[in-house]
Amino acid sequence: MSSIRLFLIASILAILTLFNFVAALQGYQASLREAEQLFDNQLYQTAKLIANLHTEQIQTPPSPQNNLAYQVWHNNQLIATSAPSLRQPIIELLPGFDHANFNGYRWRTLVFYDDNHNNWIIVAERSDLRYMLAESVITQAVLPILLGIPLAGLLIWLIVSRGLKPLRDLSEQLKNKQANDLTPIAIPDLKSELKQVNHSINALMRRLGSALDREKRFTADAAHELRTPISALKVQLHNLREEVPQGNEAFAQLEAGVERMQHLVEQLLSLYRSTPEEFSHQMTRLNLYELAQEVIANQHHDFEKCNQLLELEGDNCFVEGDPFALTTLLQNLLSNANKYTPPGGQIRVTTEAVGGHICLKVEDSGPGISPTDYSKVFERFQRLSHIKDVAAVQGCGLGLTIVKHIADLHNARTSIAPSSFDTGTAFIILFPRTPDSHD
Amino acid sequence: MFLNSVVLILQEILEAALLVSVLMVFSRLDERRPYWLLTALSAGFAGSLLLSLNMANVSEWFDYVGQEVVNASMQYAITLLLALFAFSMSGDRSPGRQRLVTICMVASVAFSLTRESAEVFIYIEGVLSQPSHLQPTLTGAGIGAGIGISVGILLYYSLFWLPRCWITSCCLLLLALIAGNMSSQATLLLTQADWLPPTAILWDSGHWLPENSIPGHLLYALVGYEATPSVLQGVAYAAGIILVALMGWLGSRQRHLKRQPLLADRKED
Repeated sequence: MSSIRLFLIASILAILTLFNFVAALQGYQASLREAEQLFDNQLYQTAKLIANLHTEQIQTPPSPQNNLAYQVWHNNQLIATSAPSLRQPIIELLPGFDHANFNGYRWRTLVFYDDNHNNWIIVAERSDLRYMLAESVITQAVLPILLGIPLAGLLIWLIVSRGLKPLRDLSEQLKNKQANDLTPIAIPDLKSELKQVNHSINALMRRLGSALDREKRFTADAAHELRTPISALKVQLHNLREEVPQGNEAFAQLEAGVERMQHLVEQLLSLYRSTPEEFSHQMTRLNLYELAQEVIANQHHDFEKCNQLLELEGDNCFVEGDPFALTTLLQNLLSNANKYTPPGGQIRVTTEAVGGHICLKVEDSGPGISPTDYSKVFERFQRLSHIKDVAAVQGCGLGLTIVKHIADLHNARTSIAPSSFDTGTAFIILFPRTPDSHD
Repeated sequence: MFLNSVVLILQEILEAALLVSVLMVFSRLDERRPYWLLTALSAGFAGSLLLSLNMANVSEWFDYVGQEVVNASMQYAITLLLALFAFSMSGDRSPGRQRLVTICMVASVAFSLTRESAEVFIYIEGVLSQPSHLQPTLTGAGIGAGIGISVGILLYYSLFWLPRCWITSCCLLLLALIAGNMSSQATLLLTQADWLPPTAILWDSGHWLPENSIPGHLLYALVGYEATPSVLQGVAYAAGIILVALMGWLGSRQRHLKRQPLLADRKED
């Protein structure tokens, strides 16, 4: 219920309904009073008419509906009446309007004294019939107000929707913008209220573009500036190894620290390159199975060092992708499996066609991840603390974030599940299938 | 017929609209999707149809005071549900509490709609047997429903105009008034059914503000105004208000107490 359109339509319609209906009620009550006055005048005219007629002329009841009764009294003698059963005075002979109950109904009465003939004329009209007649006339007038509300609602809906269209257009343009599209928004014939908003958004886009350019330059500079000294440091470490005695603890820690620093710089660069703003599309049709074979061959020594069994299963599967990015994706998944699988453990890479997708699955027999942590593992710098000796595992918590970025760039779905081994995790990447994906 | 119809429908719709509006404000503050309302409306309309179709049988229960007893039971149930809602809403945000909040919202709206709509159905059914009264009655019903729903919508949006920190307190106050109103009406029904003893009149404001005037009817629906309430009704009204306020206070106190050890732990760290 937080939509501006709904708020405007509902509140305008509620105010309109409330005011109209309360006004209709007031009108009803005022009209009823007016009608009462009119009927009283009519009753007075009837009384005067009866007074001016000879009593012989008014023996028959004047109203076929029996909604009118009268009596003419002279010197306490009833000389004329509308019904023979009415022998007693309908009401006390006091001039003026009043109410009385007789014949099972409530009546509006008028006692009128005729000075010319010294007669008391009592005329009475059934209150319920007067009321019904008045009500029927007045409700006929109120009914269009009631029936008009749905029509008013429809018009309000149309006008509010039309009025909010520029806002909707602006929101639509923002929604449809690509992540790396920082061009200004151009909406023709923009309303004055939205000009400032549009101007501010475009100014923000410009500032964002400049900031991204600065960041790009910074990363390129940082990569250059950091990679060179790290490489020099590694050369110096290599030379130093000759002079330092074997098993020197401080030297080993220094070497591991430099390795970690190099890994972190490489991962930061990969992360930066895999953002939508930086990713340059070089999509080509490539065989995922062959790519996995290449990556496994390049990283095989890491698995051998840990005495881990690495298998590749599946068939030739073709996807539209960037070879460099997908190599990085596979490297990160394999490196992750290598780090978190204990020595002697198993890792299996599978490429296969599943339904409308090409599935790349990397499973390990490591300690596994709790399902409650599945959503966290793709976050930046996230390292799950429940895994034993996590601190001992070299890594900076960016590998799976890079995997997710690259998968998103290929419109692939990333998911995690328990592996088919007794323990462990399976990372599943589902690529969209192209017509000739599977040989 | 027109005015009677306006007043009767307005009273019934306004009572339900107030409750729904206040609960929807809580629901939005709690970022809860409004599916609970659909469930409550469906249950309420089904309940009202069931009750109105069986009203003749229900009336014969408990020595022909079944209608009064059933209506009073539903009103007391709404009072208790609102008190429980105030407790759960003010308390912690555990899944169990959240479920209890939803149950209280759905059940209180469903009971309220069952009672109010059943009375409307019976009234409309009675009028349908007299074709001459049909047009004024239906026009009046439309006007009454329109005013009631409009007041509910405006109340809902106007509560959000308040400063954020006041909204919850104002809604709790409104819930307390609704609970007091329900409790007082239920007590009156049980007194009419001779299940509770008649007590002295607390005051008589009929001269200043007659119950059957339009402001009187509106105030009756809003805060349960009665020109001549009995002592027992006054006690029931106060009890309803105090119960909701107390439960709200207990809930927030419990949350405060649960937070304190956490804060203490952080300080130790």
